[in-house]
Amino acid sequence: MSTLVNIIRSQWERREQIFSLALFDLRKQARGTVLGPAWLFVKPIVYICVFWFALEIGLRSGSNEPGAPPYILWLMGGLVPWFYIQTMLGTGSSVFARFKYLVNKIKFPLAGIPTIFAIAEMIIHLGMVALLLVVYFLFGQPLDWYLLQIPVAIVLMFVFFYMFSLTTSLLSAISKDFKNLIVTFSTPLFWLSGIIFNVYDLGIGWLQTLLMFDPITFIASMFRCAVYDKTWIWENPMAVIGFAVVFVAMLVVTLVVYKRTREEVPDVI
Amino acid sequence: MSSSDYPTEEQVAQAAANAEAEAKSIEAESSDVVVEEGHENGTPVSDEVAICFDHVTKTYKLYKNDKQRFASIFWGKKKRELVTTVNANNDLSFEIKKGEAVAFLGENGAGKSTALKMVTGVAYPTKGTVTVNGHVSALLELTAGFDKALTGRENVRLRGKAMGFTDEQLETLIPKTIEFADLGVYIDQPVRMYSSGMKSRLGFGLAVSSDPEILVVDEALAVGDKRFKEKCYARVREIMEDENVTVLFVTHSSGAAEEFCKRGIVLDKGTKRFDGPIEEAVAFYDNMA
Repeated sequence: MSTLVNIIRSQWERREQIFSLALFDLRKQARGTVLGPAWLFVKPIVYICVFWFALEIGLRSGSNEPGAPPYILWLMGGLVPWFYIQTMLGTGSSVFARFKYLVNKIKFPLAGIPTIFAIAEMIIHLGMVALLLVVYFLFGQPLDWYLLQIPVAIVLMFVFFYMFSLTTSLLSAISKDFKNLIVTFSTPLFWLSGIIFNVYDLGIGWLQTLLMFDPITFIASMFRCAVYDKTWIWENPMAVIGFAVVFVAMLVVTLVVYKRTREEVPDVI
Repeated sequence: MSSSDYPTEEQVAQAAANAEAEAKSIEAESSDVVVEEGHENGTPVSDEVAICFDHVTKTYKLYKNDKQRFASIFWGKKKRELVTTVNANNDLSFEIKKGEAVAFLGENGAGKSTALKMVTGVAYPTKGTVTVNGHVSALLELTAGFDKALTGRENVRLRGKAMGFTDEQLETLIPKTIEFADLGVYIDQPVRMYSSGMKSRLGFGLAVSSDPEILVVDEALAVGDKRFKEKCYARVREIMEDENVTVLFVTHSSGAAEEFCKRGIVLDKGTKRFDGPIEEAVAFYDNMA
């Protein structure tokens, strides 16, 4: 418990600093190009177009039901959060290597370093969510209460993958095996988590239940409930329970790992 | 989760209480020496404690291989197969008053840099307590850690932000640093274009411009050309005289130590071997080698 208070307080005291360091990180990503910040969005947009072409035009996976919302909304509902998650699985799993000077040159709370990266990526993500909403309204979809699930999903995703990033970064600092493990599983997770197929249509009971414990599936489902399915996420209680279990487990693991390694990490990085 | 890795809160509190009592007795013993020193050199040395090391031990674990390091995350202390543990600092105790200039003398691996890292707050003691009062500005490996993609000016802003300066403070810090570093047109070029000397000038400029209360200098003055070196010496002297800051100076060269400091602490294999006036400390160190 005191560890949790420590993690939160050490960051709250430095909130303005963390935010401006996040902006710096973004600026750095856009450095050395003429188009600058535009590049941060070009890559995800190209991905969305390619997947849309391959799936709807190529494989004809779109719904044939008349009156169904456009397939692109279903696709973006999965891909937009995935881009954020993907970065958190990639660079997010070794942020201390990226911000080395904050670990062993300047006194800075260790727990605040993943936050810097998460906020920087979140700003890009919010831009992508804005794009999703633009597409949504361009297709003449209604402004309704279901859309409120998007901000909730964003907050849950932010907190969950912050914990993930802190834990894996601490572990990766001690042994690179963790980083390699996660990077190796990044692409499989994309194909397994139902980003581009519908988990609820699988028809294999046990697999469907298992995927309820996949936080990536949960976040993507919540986005889709909001922009495509027009349902509430809790209409599928198993999904909410599964995510809650994984969330609490992640929290416990984070606290244990943080307590155990935080003083050792600056020595080994 | 094993709580045996780190001292419990209770133990820490107990240690702190003991420390306080002991610190008082140490103070009583050594205070007249310090005061005398202060008068002799005409530098104001207050009674306020800037840095206090209380029975500090810093242990580094050396694992047999990466596999053991990996395993150490999951298994308790007993099962870890270590080649050895190294006490970089071994039961180190000293107290430095505000305004003092202290040189740490010792061979490579004597534990000087480890001690300074703990002062800076980027490493934690394994045992004992480190108390630091005041804003620390460290010159630890000057050239390291600048972002190669950002310009010199942006790096100064980034570092300043990371060190916790407000925007108003940065308004004065940045021009001061830039003026000191004197990099001309290069200040707005990416740091990857810099020579190693230019990087250290920037780092040094930042460290001395940030109005530190405690300045930690780790062999940093050995960089740059002669003219810049003189400028650095002059600036360090100025800081020490005018601003009543505490300076910790780490070196193996006794010349530089004598130039700046009035007190010397000689370390050997992590333990304190001598603590006293700089001339005696230098003599002790030279004899030791």
